[in-house]
Amino acid sequence: MTAPRSKAGASGFDQLFSGRAEEGLRVKTGIVELDDMLRGGFMPGDAVMLAGSAGTGKTTLALQYLVNGVKLGEPGIYVTFEELPDQIYRDAKNLGWDLRKMEEADKFRVICTSPNLVLESGDDSLLDEVLRDIQPRRIVIDSLSHLEMFVKKDDMRMEAYRVIRYLKTRGVSSVLLWESPQISGGSFSITDVGLSFLVDCIVALKPVEIESSLRKALVILKMRGSDHDKRLREFEITSTGIKIESTFSNYEGIISGSPRKVASEKFMELFRGASEKHK
Amino acid sequence: MFHGEQAEMSEQEILSTLLASEIRGDLLVLFHKNPGLIDTVDGIARRIGRTTIAVISDVRELLQLGLLKQKRIGASEIVYLDRARDREILESVANHLKTVRIGREK
Repeated sequence: MTAPRSKAGASGFDQLFSGRAEEGLRVKTGIVELDDMLRGGFMPGDAVMLAGSAGTGKTTLALQYLVNGVKLGEPGIYVTFEELPDQIYRDAKNLGWDLRKMEEADKFRVICTSPNLVLESGDDSLLDEVLRDIQPRRIVIDSLSHLEMFVKKDDMRMEAYRVIRYLKTRGVSSVLLWESPQISGGSFSITDVGLSFLVDCIVALKPVEIESSLRKALVILKMRGSDHDKRLREFEITSTGIKIESTFSNYEGIISGSPRKVASEKFMELFRGASEKHK
Repeated sequence: MFHGEQAEMSEQEILSTLLASEIRGDLLVLFHKNPGLIDTVDGIARRIGRTTIAVISDVRELLQLGLLKQKRIGASEIVYLDRARDREILESVANHLKTVRIGREK
């Protein structure tokens, strides 16, 4: 990735005059409950890390964020280092999102490339042309973890910083996916290369085992410059995308990987059991 | 007929160029299914399960036809689909096939 250049459409310089970086506005995810948790949405131009282990719904949530952006008149780009776009088109269609149609309208692009090409960019960035073509307000990188395969661990933070700064300078709000098997057990660590400090917001997705069934939890771990909901919320991947449900109010220890009923709930259960015996 | 470098090629010639080899067919399918693919020739070869040596001449043909575009990114030459040219070519080939079909029916 390179420093911004004036030939690209949405440079920071352009934003000064286009009024894009308006203060006070939020970048809505379009998922009402998540926007409520974020007190209206992400902060404009912020770099958001969406972390979670495999199968937690990172890709679905990221696509939903972009698709809802298009509905709100904000073009988006999905950069994938892993899946070929045809798989993404197919999976999105199953959720009711016709990405090809959005591409035809120049509101959306799925870019599939290799992480090393993103890192190798010299004077020309891989994304310059597409940024110029569709003037995106949102971008998803799936995933930042793939960069790790091409850079030394010590350089990872610097390279991620470069990618984040490239997008920020262009006023594009980014969601960076991160595969984090660490958000389990007793560890609260998201990355072991210090990326949590580079991003403005961290949304973590986590599978939790409760009463022998696997459920999914979402939590906002960090949001610079804004209040946010600190509670864990259960969510499901439905046929129309992510649906956020209630909090795990009767349980504690969910993030640590050992969920157990809170003491008052245990007491209530005992009480219910005892009163039933007396009946 | 196309404008620019491909101005002299007829629709029939374009169709013949597109379908000249199995690898070229694989490349066309890959790029049509994945229009946002940006990769090196090496990466593209891997994605269709071939070697760079096997695909290089076909990639070159598609570059000459204008269907693919090439750009230098750092030390690598990348290749990607020219969506506008692709639409133009598809339209032209479709028209040609329609004309051929009508001619046969007559």
